Amino acid sequence: MNIEFILINAIIVACIYGLVAVAVSITWSSLGLINLSYGFIFSFAGYGAYVTSKMISDHPVWVTSAGILTGAVGGILICAAVFIPLHDKPNFTIRGMTATLAISLVGSQVLLWWFGPRAKSLPEVFGFWKISIFDIVLTSDKIGIVVCSIVMLAVVLLWMKSSRRGLEIRAMMMNPHAASIVGIGIRSTGFYVMAVTGAMAGLSAVLLSQTYYISPFSGLVPLIKGVSIALCGGLGSVQGAVIAAIILGITEALTANVLGGQYVLITQFLVIITILIIRPRGIAGILDKAREQ
Amino acid sequence: MSGQDDGKERYIWRNPLSVWLDQGGNDEVPTIRVPDPKTVWEKNTAYKVTTHKVGRFKYYHKWANHGERLWNRLRWWPTRRSVLLIRGLYNRKTLKAEKLIVDKRPIYWALALLFLALAPLGFPESLQNTLLTAGAIFGIFAAINVCWTLIIGTASIFSLASYAVVGVAAFLTSWLSINYGLPWWLLPPIGMVIGLVFGSIIAAPAMRLDGFYYALLTLGLNELCRVYFITSKEFGSASGGLYGADSYISDQWAPYTQSLAAYYGGFMLLVAALFLFRFINGKRLGRILRMAPEKREAFAEATGVDYRRARITIFLLTSVALGFIGGFYAAHYRGVTFSIFGFDTVLLGLAMLTIGGIGRAEGAVLGTLIVVMLDKVLVTLGPFRHILIGLIMLFVVLFLNNGLYGMKKQFRAWRDKKKGEWRSTRTEKGGEALPEEATEIDDKDELYHRRFDKMQRDYLKGLVCDEVIEEHRRKPLGQHSEALERLLLHFRRAPQVDKYAIHREGFGGPHKIVAFSGNRGTSPRLVEDREYATIEEAYHGVFMRRVNDLMES
Repeated sequence: MNIEFILINAIIVACIYGLVAVAVSITWSSLGLINLSYGFIFSFAGYGAYVTSKMISDHPVWVTSAGILTGAVGGILICAAVFIPLHDKPNFTIRGMTATLAISLVGSQVLLWWFGPRAKSLPEVFGFWKISIFDIVLTSDKIGIVVCSIVMLAVVLLWMKSSRRGLEIRAMMMNPHAASIVGIGIRSTGFYVMAVTGAMAGLSAVLLSQTYYISPFSGLVPLIKGVSIALCGGLGSVQGAVIAAIILGITEALTANVLGGQYVLITQFLVIITILIIRPRGIAGILDKAREQ
Repeated sequence: MSGQDDGKERYIWRNPLSVWLDQGGNDEVPTIRVPDPKTVWEKNTAYKVTTHKVGRFKYYHKWANHGERLWNRLRWWPTRRSVLLIRGLYNRKTLKAEKLIVDKRPIYWALALLFLALAPLGFPESLQNTLLTAGAIFGIFAAINVCWTLIIGTASIFSLASYAVVGVAAFLTSWLSINYGLPWWLLPPIGMVIGLVFGSIIAAPAMRLDGFYYALLTLGLNELCRVYFITSKEFGSASGGLYGADSYISDQWAPYTQSLAAYYGGFMLLVAALFLFRFINGKRLGRILRMAPEKREAFAEATGVDYRRARITIFLLTSVALGFIGGFYAAHYRGVTFSIFGFDTVLLGLAMLTIGGIGRAEGAVLGTLIVVMLDKVLVTLGPFRHILIGLIMLFVVLFLNNGLYGMKKQFRAWRDKKKGEWRSTRTEKGGEALPEEATEIDDKDELYHRRFDKMQRDYLKGLVCDEVIEEHRRKPLGQHSEALERLLLHFRRAPQVDKYAIHREGFGGPHKIVAFSGNRGTSPRLVEDREYATIEEAYHGVFMRRVNDLMES
């Protein structure tokens, strides 16, 4: 095993999990909802892309956009089922988290019942070609995954920085109560946020299925990894999540190279726990007291 | 004003003074009959709420009592704790001595546990094996959940790694038992040591992290354990788990005896866990932490409560208990599978806690009962039973604040809110003081005056009609019919502040309406620019203003 190969793999995995991490982070900081149903959205979007590739066309654009769209639909569903009824109730945080878990329990079982336990694979979105830089051979899917996730992240960040809706979301992140006082609709913003973050999870599902398969429970690992990265980076901080994704990717690569594959999770969690013990609110830790409820 | 068909009885009033020649009043005018003033009083004081015979009063059964029996309580030997919290009271009407059982939960617990203990006798033959197996699973999972609710509810540490502690203890004890031949009775104590060590490791981040950071971290830890045990060869990565540990259920027994032993083993474990819950939550540690609920830690700290220490102590004690359960699990099933670390296990466990209500032993037990019954007894439903459990969990989370056992409190809060809303819809505010205002006013005479005044005005409003106004217009002075007379008497009694008067600008000048300021030295103010040619017209103008003021009050 050479280090470059592992490093590139780590970067690719970090890109995919980074998308989920940023989604978790944005949802938490703007809505105060710990959404643990991204695992379900992930599988849901994967199946959406799969059905599109079978039924309509397996053109890459169709498949990718179908994944993104079903992800957004999944996000909107969860917003309507969890955030809208619960956001003004007592114990919102814990009940919201439990409700998203319940939805992921129901959702994965429905997917299992509808599509069966056999894993499905998506068509190759990025074709088959190779490029060689400094003796490192990069295949098309690797370059495609990195470029796609970076483009998606950039588009979302640009949208959040420059658009009216993005301004509303950022206002909700700073102080949800004050945002509602100045006339920002909490419910409508909830729908935007959940649709966008769902779309991110959907894209990551399509990207990850270039390497792995789609199954009803395939969203669990991305969810756990994404949540860990978001935690480590500090919930609510996009920069923190990006830094954390890079750190954890490098840890994974080094561990796999030096100690062996089965110790990857252990070292990762040791790193996360160390970071969290030093800075309890993650690397960024900017939202120290901003999101209490 | 009012028309002709307004329900008022009309007649021609004749001036009784007219026989003594001209006394200044009208001789004959159409007017209305004056209703009985009592009707307004009765309408105002009537109780207008629809009442039902059922559910109007709280009903508690009162037991007969004798004065000295109250002190003769049943106590847990050798402590002075009474078995039942009983209050003695006297019936207000009959003055009989009565006893009220304030807290009936010990009775319900005793009955429920008795039911669980006797249940195997009543299982139907066809379902006997399924129900005994499910009962054993219920006992073990209920014990785990009771411990877990101590961590989440009492200690407010949102840990999702309870099943990981159980799993690690179970795996290590099974491995020791298989490789070194340890007997079954050594497994739980060894599990306790493992639980303590593992609990201390995961307690370290809990001191720094709070709330949901810790929850997400422990979710990751659970996954870490799963991946570690699945990939390591010593713990049976090939066979899906470890088998072959020593068990307290002997192979030589008949299958029914084995199932029965398993059932009662789980039951005893549950009882032990309930005792642990009682002794932590109901005693010093639990009381300390009831002082320091979430977001009020600073206050507790200021009063000298070391809540962090208490939380970590509970966490460690419970980890030891979870380790014990892990050892028991290994001795019960002769091993353990990887499913104990699964995300689904954590999810189902959380479903059990949420359905029953977090922070209560009865919630943990009831939630476990519901979920285990759905999961293990209705196996024929296939994957639908998980969907059903998820839907129940979603329903409970969406509509109940704290699970099934929080329903009573939530219902009472909702009922009180509705009571307040209904009362506010039927309260009329016409100058009368509302009950909550009335407590603020010291002069109670004022309250009665306002109440009387309001009813008086309600009554007089009913007297205003076209005939009465016309009667006044024709002759403002002199004898009037009863309706007009009552109105005028009320107007004359008005206080000096803002009382209307007629002002004439010099001899032969026009009449204008002014209002008194009420202060000596402050001149009256002009209320309108209109000028009246004669004094009678001005009298009528004042009357009309007063009628307007009355109708608007």
